Amino acid sequence: MTEGIRVASLDDIPKGEGVAIARELTGTADDIALLRDDDGTVWALDNTCTHEDAALADGWVEGGFVECPLHSSRFCLKDGEVQGLPATRGVCPHRVEIRDGGVYLFPNETP
Amino acid sequence: MTATAGPAADRVTATPRGALRRPAELARDLDVSGLVDAEGGLLDRAVFTDGSLYRQELRRVFAPSWLFLAHTDQFHKPGDFFTTYMGEDPVIVTMDRGRTVRAYLNSCRHRGARVCRADSGATRNFTCTYHGWSYDLAGELVSVPNRDGYPGSFRTGDWGLVEVPQVASYRGLIFGTWNPEPVPLTEYLGDMAWYLDAMLDHDPDGTVVVGGVHKWTLDGNWKLAAEQFATDWYHVNMSHASALMLLTPEGRRPRDEIVHRTGRQYVGDNGHGAGFPVHPKNRFDERAVHDWTDYAALRARLGDARVEGPLTNGHATVFPNFSYLPVNGSIRVWHPKGPDRMEVWAWTLVDRSMPPEVREAQRLYNLRTFGPSGIFEQDDGENWSEVQAISHGFITNQVPLNYQMGLGSERHDGTYPGRTSELYSDAAGRGFYAHWRELMNTPAWHEQEPTR
Repeated sequence: MTEGIRVASLDDIPKGEGVAIARELTGTADDIALLRDDDGTVWALDNTCTHEDAALADGWVEGGFVECPLHSSRFCLKDGEVQGLPATRGVCPHRVEIRDGGVYLFPNETP
Repeated sequence: MTATAGPAADRVTATPRGALRRPAELARDLDVSGLVDAEGGLLDRAVFTDGSLYRQELRRVFAPSWLFLAHTDQFHKPGDFFTTYMGEDPVIVTMDRGRTVRAYLNSCRHRGARVCRADSGATRNFTCTYHGWSYDLAGELVSVPNRDGYPGSFRTGDWGLVEVPQVASYRGLIFGTWNPEPVPLTEYLGDMAWYLDAMLDHDPDGTVVVGGVHKWTLDGNWKLAAEQFATDWYHVNMSHASALMLLTPEGRRPRDEIVHRTGRQYVGDNGHGAGFPVHPKNRFDERAVHDWTDYAALRARLGDARVEGPLTNGHATVFPNFSYLPVNGSIRVWHPKGPDRMEVWAWTLVDRSMPPEVREAQRLYNLRTFGPSGIFEQDDGENWSEVQAISHGFITNQVPLNYQMGLGSERHDGTYPGRTSELYSDAAGRGFYAHWRELMNTPAWHEQEPTR
């Protein structure tokens, strides 16, 4: 899947926000959260927090991290590593490309 | 926006109680009919000092009454929230995903900590920082860490945030009540709405609030402040003498229309009250606001009686603890903090149509006069604290207070809605305490059936 899947327009994701892409579209085990950092960069992580059932796409995105909206667990946007309790395991990252204002997702590819 | 949350699940009475049974002795009722002589104009000072009466007030005055929560301008998108109090109960006011403003008891159903500790802001969930129980904007319990540790009978649907069952707004002012079946807010306000409109209905765009909320603590029972704003012009020339002289040009004596004020005092049926001068030159508004105001349009919209009365100056209380100053743009709540202490929470209100420089002038004027260090506010706080400071004395406490000014003067005057008295009168104060007495001696909705 070298072209990637066009899953959103860049304009659909305000800085500091996220959107969830359904697993039916991505073919992944979990939904994927597209998360746009406050510098404008878009990242993709598995959407479900590893601590409790919460959507990281609803979380707070800032400074290279996403904070879970429920219990404030923090994950690195680049590699999905957990950076703050109460979660203890990271989430899977996925590669993203921006082309012509479109957001292209490469599920299960390392960023 | 305006929103009314319909009667939600009454989680106060519907919550699982298991084998819990409250002994009746926890809530003993005191008959207060001997503490308020509204007809003779006398008041027993125990109403300001007694701890048992105070606890009964929380049960029977605050729990069943419509209480001011916030201004609609504080909520623009889902998740915007403001935390405040209803009596001593902490509540979160927030806009849910359907853009309805709702209010919840700010206390986790697990161990009882607050689930929101910020004054205001925007959020997606309310999560308790103690163990992590988390609630969504609809108050539903959506996350329980270590959920598997609970028995099979545990249902998250039973443990949502306790919702304030009735929330309603009047021209931007949001009120709530714990009473699941209250009289509608507009009926509760009654004729008071006509007086409120002198502040809230200058133009079709309504009002907005400026900045945040000023909060300060005063020694003094909350009723001292609420009562004064309902009924007391009498103190103005005495207590505020220095402030009035400060506003008088150097070397001049105060203008006659300020010294010899005439006016009326509205005496509401539900303990509300409002007083205002009626002299057309008795203006007390900020110069920039005055110059901007289109009085012809106001006369067409609100009528001469309001423009020459409540719009010139004045004071008012919506029972029990919401007060406002129509010309200063100050709206405030007197939060009770025990019998001897109150917290004042004050907002500045401006007309939405005011240009920025007029809004700023009004903001500064309110700050100078009735902000926490305002030249008038300081005088009032000093009086209330003075009254409270000595009222625990054994002899002092037994000596009744006089509320006899204007006794029997209340009447329908043909100009102002409801019953009115003279500007200098205790009539609305007598009405305030008569309504307080009635509520204190009437079992509230939560007492109608034995607690399950």
